[in-house]
Amino acid sequence: MADAPKPLLHVEHLCKEFPVESGLIASHMKNARKVHAVNDVSFDIMPGETFGLVGESGCGKSTTGRCIMRLTEPTSGLVEFEGKDVGKMNKRELKALRRDMQFIFQDPYASLNPRMTIGEIISEPLIIHNVMPNADERIAFVRELLDVVGLNPEHINRYPHEFSGGQRQRVGIARAFALRPKLIICDEPVSALDVSIQAQVLNLLTDLQKEYGTAYLFIAHDLSVVQHISDRVAVMYLGSMMEYSDWRSLYAEPCHPYTQSLLSAVPIPDPDVQHSRKRIILKGDPPSPIEPPSGCLFHTRCPIAQARCSSETPQLREIAPGHFCSCHFAEPNPIKDASIEL
Amino acid sequence: MFGFGRKKKQATDWVDLKTQPVPEGHHLLEVNDLKMYFHTQDGVVKAVNGVSYTLDRGETLGVVGESGSGKSVTSLTIMGLIDMPPGKIEGGDVLYRGRSLVKMTEEEMEHIRGNDIAMIFQDPMTSLNPVYTIGRQLSEGMILHRGYSKQQALQRSIELLQMVGIPNAEQRVKDYPHEFSGGMRQRVMIAMALACDPDILIADEPTTALDVTIQAQIIELMQKMQEENGNAIIMITHDLGVVADIADKIMVMYAGQPVEFGTAEEIFYEPIHPYTWGLNRSIPDPVIDEKRPLTPIKGNPPSLVNAPAGCAFSPRCPYATDLCRTEQPPTYVTETGHYSRCHYAHDASFVSANAPETSRTKTMLDHAADAVAAAQEGGEA
Ligand SMILES: Nc1ncnc2c1ncn2[C@@H]1O[C@H](COP(=O)(O)OP(=O)(O)OP(=O)(O)O)[C@@H](O)[C@H]1O
Ligand SMILES: Nc1ncnc2c1ncn2[C@@H]1O[C@H](COP(=O)(O)OP(=O)(O)O)[C@@H](O)[C@H]1O
Ligand code: SF4
Ligand code: SF4
Ligand SMILES: [Mg+2]
Ligand SMILES: [Mg+2]
Repeated sequence: MADAPKPLLHVEHLCKEFPVESGLIASHMKNARKVHAVNDVSFDIMPGETFGLVGESGCGKSTTGRCIMRLTEPTSGLVEFEGKDVGKMNKRELKALRRDMQFIFQDPYASLNPRMTIGEIISEPLIIHNVMPNADERIAFVRELLDVVGLNPEHINRYPHEFSGGQRQRVGIARAFALRPKLIICDEPVSALDVSIQAQVLNLLTDLQKEYGTAYLFIAHDLSVVQHISDRVAVMYLGSMMEYSDWRSLYAEPCHPYTQSLLSAVPIPDPDVQHSRKRIILKGDPPSPIEPPSGCLFHTRCPIAQARCSSETPQLREIAPGHFCSCHFAEPNPIKDASIEL
Repeated sequence: MFGFGRKKKQATDWVDLKTQPVPEGHHLLEVNDLKMYFHTQDGVVKAVNGVSYTLDRGETLGVVGESGSGKSVTSLTIMGLIDMPPGKIEGGDVLYRGRSLVKMTEEEMEHIRGNDIAMIFQDPMTSLNPVYTIGRQLSEGMILHRGYSKQQALQRSIELLQMVGIPNAEQRVKDYPHEFSGGMRQRVMIAMALACDPDILIADEPTTALDVTIQAQIIELMQKMQEENGNAIIMITHDLGVVADIADKIMVMYAGQPVEFGTAEEIFYEPIHPYTWGLNRSIPDPVIDEKRPLTPIKGNPPSLVNAPAGCAFSPRCPYATDLCRTEQPPTYVTETGHYSRCHYAHDASFVSANAPETSRTKTMLDHAADAVAAAQEGGEA
């Protein structure tokens, strides 16, 4: 037990609710309607590991990331970074935390201040945290960073609009790495990019991780991208975690009907393979997070739901070493006959 | 886009082109060296620069390429939906059942769009009017182009919504677009396209904004519709998985030009253009054994205003030579109609040395290895 590696990040029973009706009175009403954005989420991230978080739009991926960094205040639950309770941190401690934990955003257009040069953007965290007070030294360091992320150091005085989407994402990455953080929360960092550029950025993230041992919480909706970059992958649905495991067993033997459906819905860029697969077409849309279904959150769309699924909420349990799943009937590829129905 | 209220010929005065036979020697749709340039303050944007393909009934053409490569402008040009100016057709033609769409009047094109060729867009909200009910918007085209009464059109709208899998359709026709989810709106767009029973359905990234489970529903629906109606589909997407799923033919575009065109088999298993290879090597393989490293294409797509001299792909191509940098490559066409715009596409040894491994070549190698192993075992025994 003594040598068990300590997680870098520990998340336990994390919940986040947003009031539906805005305004002070509404949010204090006892039965005010709420968006259950994140619902009892627990996981650990080890140092240097990439933990992937996938799920459909609105399932609470970004909110989870934002709660971890306290960019959004969680409603309840525990977040520990290197054993320290993030929820109890004061302003000074939070500032120190942000040195070790950085964020990369989805939209390379909106996330960079258009009035700052890329040199200013990348050095901003260095100045805030006063790590390199000497300006010359700082500029030399920023030029080095630009080189590392594959941008021309000569362009240090250019503005974001002078760069392409992929190049701007590199600026965001350089900025995130400036303080050599231990964890970077990457929220859809390649979703807005074309495939050829996406591959450049994914390789860059992998190389930097090898070099600096940074851990990533990698949020995305593209299952192939997440599989490619992650050591472990978690699948979210309606604010809750349905399943997580190391990437190999999750993709080879999904044990949750939702994971299995999701994987079967991703078209594979190989006609022979794609035409010979069985596809599971889920019915309807995900339900509203304002009135989530009773019992298992997935029961309204689950092809193998039984009577107890609508009343009994399945707990996330370890069904094989390191493989967690929340389904009453968890087993490898639980949906046996893939029915195609609209 | 449907232009309401103007005085025009009665619906019954028109002959639907889709009911006319395809003239001998022609295809359903023929795009010949089509060029659409935009004349802007910054210069001439060569958005579509020599696109050619043919399409027949029941076929699906996949158009792939990075953003800005001219995929949308190509189909908007076919549909006559580009504002001219700033756009100008600089050459080429589009023949639909042997008739030139480029030469048609706006009134004729309006009829084509209502009856023969339908288009659905990435963001259905831009093509749905937020202030009208879904039922009214579905009915409009049928009243205008089919001569239906209001009552008939509404009844047909309900049937169409049921057909595209909208539950409770009798009620939902009274709803407004914002009351529908993204996937449901896209299904409404498909219902609208179905309403005119089109000969050709052009879908411009119809699932890009949707989740994969909803994408699977929409693709399934388009395929079902095609099976029933026999229409052709042009599927524009940047997702190679989607084209692998549904395309019979594929056109790969780069910087306004089709750099490679062929059957899905040819593009996936015998690609002959370095850009197609680059795309293939850039996408993560859905594997369960060892992850394959990605080999990205270096650099960025070129500006369409100051296109590089020579091959448009030469600044990013790992095989570029001086010839590539100075001279535009010719289009090399094989006997099967598979074509590639590369100076070296005809060179079998260049292609076999540099093309990526595919699942088929891998299986061949495995078989070869098995055969060698079997032979060795046999020898030892
Ligand atoms: N500030 C907010 N106020 C109210 N509701 C919110 C707020 N932020 C998020 N939500 C809701 O919380 C839920 C989860 O949102 P979140 O942004 O975490 O989803 P996501 O998984 O990141 O989705 P996407 O893939 O679209 O980015 C959604 O229903 C969303 O509408
Ligand atoms: N109205 C316009 N005026 C000038 N340039 C345009 C116009 N519409 C499109 N373009 C340019 O044409 C090129 C091709 O665009 P598009 O067909 O939309 O690309 P894709 O659909 O492949 O992403 C782009 O460089 C785009 O900026
Ligand atoms: S608990 Fe029931 S409804 Fe939920 S995923 Fe498992 S089988 Fe389906
Ligand atoms: S013509 Fe030359 S630069 Fe262009 S794709 Fe072929 S090898 Fe590459
Ligand atoms: Mg998000
Ligand atoms: Mg487009």
